[in-house]
Amino acid sequence: MSAHTERRAWIFGTTAPALVFLLVIAYLPIAYAVTLSFFKKTAFNPAMKWVGLDNYRFILEEPELWSAFWRSVVFTLGAVALQLVWGLVSALLLNRTFKGLNLVRSLFVLPYLLPSIVVALVFQWLLSQEYGVVNQVLMQTGVVARPINFFGGLATAMWAVIGMAGWQYGSFATLLILARLQAINPKLYEAAAVSGAGTLRAFRDVTLPNLRTTLIVIALLRGIWMFNKFDSIWLVTHGGPLKATETLPLYAYRLAFEEFDFGLAAAACTVMFVVLLVGAVVYFKLFDPTKEIEVGR
Amino acid sequence: MFIDRRTFMKGSAVAGAAAVAPQVLVGTARGQQRNKVVFVSEESNPKAIAVYDKINADFKKETGIEVVMEYPGFANIAKRVATLIAAGTPPEIVWYGAGQAMNLALENQLADVGDVIRATGGTAENLRLVYKGADRSIPTSQQFTYGWYRKDLFQAKNLDAPKSWDEYLSAAKTLSNPPSMYGCIVPSAETGASTLLLETMFMKNNVHWFGWDAGKKDYEVVLDKGDQKKRAVETLDYLNELHKYSPEASTYNWGELMSTYFSEKAASSYYVGSRLLDQTIANNPKIADATVPFELPRKLTDSYYLSIQGFHILEKSNVDGAKKYVTFFLQHPDLIAWYHAVPLHIIPASRQMLNSAKYQDNPVIQKRMDVLKFLDSIWTKGVPLYYWDGRELNPYIGLFHNENLAGWMLAARNIKGMKSDQVVDEAAAQVRKKMKRVG
Repeated sequence: MSAHTERRAWIFGTTAPALVFLLVIAYLPIAYAVTLSFFKKTAFNPAMKWVGLDNYRFILEEPELWSAFWRSVVFTLGAVALQLVWGLVSALLLNRTFKGLNLVRSLFVLPYLLPSIVVALVFQWLLSQEYGVVNQVLMQTGVVARPINFFGGLATAMWAVIGMAGWQYGSFATLLILARLQAINPKLYEAAAVSGAGTLRAFRDVTLPNLRTTLIVIALLRGIWMFNKFDSIWLVTHGGPLKATETLPLYAYRLAFEEFDFGLAAAACTVMFVVLLVGAVVYFKLFDPTKEIEVGR
Repeated sequence: MFIDRRTFMKGSAVAGAAAVAPQVLVGTARGQQRNKVVFVSEESNPKAIAVYDKINADFKKETGIEVVMEYPGFANIAKRVATLIAAGTPPEIVWYGAGQAMNLALENQLADVGDVIRATGGTAENLRLVYKGADRSIPTSQQFTYGWYRKDLFQAKNLDAPKSWDEYLSAAKTLSNPPSMYGCIVPSAETGASTLLLETMFMKNNVHWFGWDAGKKDYEVVLDKGDQKKRAVETLDYLNELHKYSPEASTYNWGELMSTYFSEKAASSYYVGSRLLDQTIANNPKIADATVPFELPRKLTDSYYLSIQGFHILEKSNVDGAKKYVTFFLQHPDLIAWYHAVPLHIIPASRQMLNSAKYQDNPVIQKRMDVLKFLDSIWTKGVPLYYWDGRELNPYIGLFHNENLAGWMLAARNIKGMKSDQVVDEAAAQVRKKMKRVG
């Protein structure tokens, strides 16, 4: 065996397990879902009937798909923005030295470790119209006269789920930003202070530029995860009231398991997949995160 | 530890094959086992599970057939069954609502079970599910949709159980003192609870979604036509009035109907069956004795949404084994303990059994004979949704029922504030659109 062949075999051998794993866990289901989208397939019959692009024609003409798409965009932008702000503020607070620092840092990370069902139950109790602590406080302090139906109100439900997602996943941003903050060379701050920069200016001229790469990576990752988010929203609102929180994943789920139309649901999932793919390509073209990471180094 | 390339490659291949093999094998393994029956049950109460375990052990002893149970729960059973069928591994038996099973019958997935029904003593005519001339469901039990109210609170205001729409509205108004107490609960969400309330109240006002077209020998949507529309609008407007004395309930499903009631936040509620009483006994026993059933008030008819549960045997499975099991189950002496798992909630399909000393020999039933008498009094008034619009099985009910379109109507009226006629028009249009799609 030549050295070249041996090297190729070695490369193949070392990557094969990961490839097989990816194939079974990711690519086969994607291929199956895309294939399914060209068939008429109800949930109650294993038989499939080829319908070509009919499912796509039907679904792209459905106003519900586009409404769900825009709700996904609102949820994603809102939740990611909140996570970034929450992550930045908390990381700046935690990037100091004080007694009990480790305990406080652990507490900040805790929400990210909690299962979604626990977070959903906590928020349901906190924001409940009938028994919620938040409403009790708002009523007793005279801020509102009647309890607010946070998860059940047409105007409030989306903000409530955004708030919940922001709180739970903001810790992820905290962790990454804090790690980056601690890697900033203190001499940069010393130089800024010598140049007469105050706290705000030092933040603008030193901290933010150094965090740019991290913030971009967080926005990309959390953006993809939030766009695909299903469990958090489903657990507290089931997409309601009146579909006010029905994002694309929930819409696809409804098609599959309430209308029992697997073909249409697969088409909806494929549309979602394409949207994310296009979003990712545009993002990479505009921001080129690999370059950013190199600069960040 | 050093691993050479050959070992590594072999390991990778084995790992890959191990990951793929189950996907390939699972499809063929199940169908070949004639000594095994997979049974998916909606009822997952621990007492019911204990009865299943006992009967299954006896069945295995007698026939050598093993029964493998699955308990996906009420909310997930339709999804679980659908997933198993889609995967090509249908279970042998499913015990759940005949309304859900109808979806399987329409796809020719259910076996003819007329022989099992005859062998186990027959069934009442209104409990049958007949498709293509054959019985597709073996009814075991039923649940009626009716109200529950706090007799102590009603009596304190000199009120009786409401008998008419006006009386119910007036009682709800009198007893309402928000946010500490509401007179009633009108859930207004795209959930099963909202859906069944509107579907029952439609029945009370003789509203039909569909009418039978004798010429075409098919059902057509009539909800937005003539008197049907008038009565549908009237019903929605009435529930909108009632909603003023209810929590906003825009996220409510069955759990909230019970918890709001037993936490003493509502003077009346409703349920499909007696689980609300069961939960009140468990969570707030001091109001349990004052928790009394009442018929949701009539307008034009006494009808109500009837839910029928039973055994359903999947066509492409071990049909013989499944039929043997169901027959064995229904003739087993412990069957009565299964009915007692949630007393007064799992109501026998047979009125004779309801009134038998054996069934009534249970402490909860003995204590609440008033509930049993109430159930007996409304026994014949229930109608399953698929026979509400005509004598022929209506294959289209899934188009509005499965995705809680009636719940959407209540939410659109009570939460969004849409006008009732607009809500009715939109709901009818949605059903027509879906009919067109399914062909």
